[in-house]
Amino acid sequence: MAKLGTKKPDDFSKEISAQRLKSSLWYAIITVLILSCFLVPLQDGNLSFMFSLMMWVTLATGINFIAGFTGYMPFGYVAFYGIGTYVTAILVKVLGVSEYLAVPAAGLSGILLALLFAPTLRLNGIFFAIVSLSLAVVCQRLMSLLPEEITGGSHGLNLGVATDRTHGYYAMLIIMFVALVSASWLGRSRLGKALKAIRDDPDAADAMGIHVSRVRLYAWIMSAFFAALAGGAQAWFTGALDPITAFDVLITAKTVIYAMAGGLGTIIGPVVGTVTLVWIDEIVWQQFPVLNNFLLGLIITLLILFMPRGVVGSLMQRFPHLRKYIM
Amino acid sequence: MIPNIVLQLKGLNKSFGGLLAVKNVDLLVNESSISGLIGINGAGKTTLMNCISGIYRADSGSLDVMGVSCLNWSPHDIARLGVGRTFQIPRVFKRINLIDNVMVPALNDNTDNKTLYERATECLDKVKLYDLRHNNAEELSGGQQKLLELARIMMFNPKIILLDEPFAGVNPTLCRLMIERIKEMREEGKSFLLVSHDLTSIYQLSDHIYVLNQGQVISEGNVDYVKNDPEVIEAYLGNA
Amino acid sequence: MNTILLLNGLVGGVIFGAIYALIGCSLNVLCGVLRVVNFAHGEFIIAGSFLSYVLLTLFGLHPILSLPIVTIAFFLIGFGLYYLLIPRLAKSDEPETSSFLLMFGVSLMMIAAMMWIFEADIRAVEFSFDPINVSLLVIQDAYGEGRDGRVIVPTARLVALGINALLIIVLTYFLYRTLTGKAIRAAIMNREAIQIVGINIHSLSASAFGLAAALAGITGVVLAFVVPSIDPNGGQDISLIGFIIIVLGGLGHPVGALIAGILFGLVEQIATVFLPQAAAQMLGFIILIIVIFVRPQGLMGRMTLR
Repeated sequence: MAKLGTKKPDDFSKEISAQRLKSSLWYAIITVLILSCFLVPLQDGNLSFMFSLMMWVTLATGINFIAGFTGYMPFGYVAFYGIGTYVTAILVKVLGVSEYLAVPAAGLSGILLALLFAPTLRLNGIFFAIVSLSLAVVCQRLMSLLPEEITGGSHGLNLGVATDRTHGYYAMLIIMFVALVSASWLGRSRLGKALKAIRDDPDAADAMGIHVSRVRLYAWIMSAFFAALAGGAQAWFTGALDPITAFDVLITAKTVIYAMAGGLGTIIGPVVGTVTLVWIDEIVWQQFPVLNNFLLGLIITLLILFMPRGVVGSLMQRFPHLRKYIM
Repeated sequence: MIPNIVLQLKGLNKSFGGLLAVKNVDLLVNESSISGLIGINGAGKTTLMNCISGIYRADSGSLDVMGVSCLNWSPHDIARLGVGRTFQIPRVFKRINLIDNVMVPALNDNTDNKTLYERATECLDKVKLYDLRHNNAEELSGGQQKLLELARIMMFNPKIILLDEPFAGVNPTLCRLMIERIKEMREEGKSFLLVSHDLTSIYQLSDHIYVLNQGQVISEGNVDYVKNDPEVIEAYLGNA
Repeated sequence: MNTILLLNGLVGGVIFGAIYALIGCSLNVLCGVLRVVNFAHGEFIIAGSFLSYVLLTLFGLHPILSLPIVTIAFFLIGFGLYYLLIPRLAKSDEPETSSFLLMFGVSLMMIAAMMWIFEADIRAVEFSFDPINVSLLVIQDAYGEGRDGRVIVPTARLVALGINALLIIVLTYFLYRTLTGKAIRAAIMNREAIQIVGINIHSLSASAFGLAAALAGITGVVLAFVVPSIDPNGGQDISLIGFIIIVLGGLGHPVGALIAGILFGLVEQIATVFLPQAAAQMLGFIILIIVIFVRPQGLMGRMTLR
């Protein structure tokens, strides 16, 4: 056991350099990601696939705030995404607002919805999961019930040629960038530490002075914000939506799987998991469409059974010295 | 000089359904002192601790922390008055590292990161966990986790600390370390209410001892008095 | 005339209610004993429907006769699945959420498998009883001179109700009067204590899983009587209803689920008389959300899972 007084005076600066190393590696990764996404349209690449990739990265990073950091698994996460698509579509199509305003407005609607749903955070594990899922279903049914002039009923809305695809693509890029930067910030901030304490033992955190309900609300709002923005960008890019696809539970499922596979609670995890699995998904889907959902289910089952902390998380468990390099 | 009373209970009662777990307990802890709380299993010690820290709401009586009456307060309000607590089964933040664990109580403070870091590492150093500071709390042994709880309490800097079986399952070397730290903290002006089955440590540390049996205080006094009190001896050995 | 609709709704409510009650009960056994929230429950039920469909189309076996086969097959599957999946789960950081995700993965696999075998078509279990419909009540001249109003129920649904009622009675008897049943209820109340008295929690849990699976399978067969079309994608909606029921009735409380199921069935069916379909469905979820906030232990529950 170490002797008392092993602490050295320059330890804090060592700590800072260690942090810098971690951050640099992380920034390197996301720079590569962002650059490649940026260059794709300029080289006539596959816009749809890259857009999809950016969207899932944003969603996975977003869900990480409330699930990985705070320990709440929102099975109804798609509700925020869906609201984002609808608000954008309605603003553009029905009210003639420009997309450049509509998408940020979508983000705002995500925040408002998060505030509305905030009381559910008081619920414990399984109740939270069931209510979250139910709320997403309610949102979906609501959208199909509202007047057709506004929401297009069960057929949804079509934005037609009014939207410029490439601009939608770059909107998603900007959103992803902001999400990743937020994640970087959270990973190093006191808020991030407080959230993890809440995740591990909310009562102990409470007794130590952390204002649990307020702090986790921040994470909740952040998660909802990015999901809604992603939905808005999606509406912009594809120009069409309907209640079934906008609130599809598979969106939550894939977000969870991608984020988990990488490692919830880490910053790199969701990005790594998403990029890997989205590539695999694309390849498999091309060749074996029916197999797709089966594989998805298999992956999540195997993940929960054998690698619940994801690839990155499990690596850090096995090789603790890697923690110096991984955010 | 009359010492300040940091914690005072008067006539505290707590029952669960028909079972009276804490019966009319009077107890006080002075500033800069350590009070021990002993009793056989089931005597009501942990229940009493839970009442003081707010996890249980007592049925009646009074609970004063530093003069503030806080009988039906919630745990975090009582904690904010300056009451720290450790648990029989350590409640550390398992998936974060030791430094971050210890920093939690001070996250809301207006200090800069450097000061926060140095204070945290100092606390870890005092319990000899400095070298493990980058490990996650779940990688520590049970005894080490108890030390971590202690370090975290040091960071929290409360006026009074409730220690629930801090020595249980801890090896003798670590116990000695804990005892040293506790004594140090007492000198710095902190108070302790210490629940333990380890009578040796209790006798070493306590300025004053309360003996609980079947929810009631059957004896109190300094170490020698309690050791020789026939009622206490009977409660521990005899036909309760 | 509205009375006729209302009475029809009432009858429908009881019939569906009984099914919901069964769904809730089987879900509760899993939830209570294993703390596993079975997201795949709906798929188990659909699989049960499919099995009876297969037995009917391939072997001409009448669905009622397929019940014992389905029961045994699903019990064994459930029993095996327990050992395959659950022991590892217990070691995770958060068993309940993990179980939810795990069973979600299982449900995805089951949907994919069923889609692959049966393709995306909705299958109809084709058999009929004679007479096809039973007239429960006749209100003379309800629609004007000479046009009577009838409260009609398809015989298949009455049969389903009968089987359901029987099952519920048997299940209640099993849970409250037999030793294994009592052990299961005891495990729901206190998982640790029951191991202390010497009961092998693993074989008990595996049996509970098997029981729940078997019940799901049976529910599937019975469901085919009531709604003769089987949709491979319909499982999720069923699972959700199941969750609503067990929360309403009280997590882990078998009788609570029964009562909640019937009440929910009544409310839902009567609501469809007055409201559009989507709204009636929403009603269920809204009730769920209100209940969780106002009285999270549900009608009869003592357990709040933690």
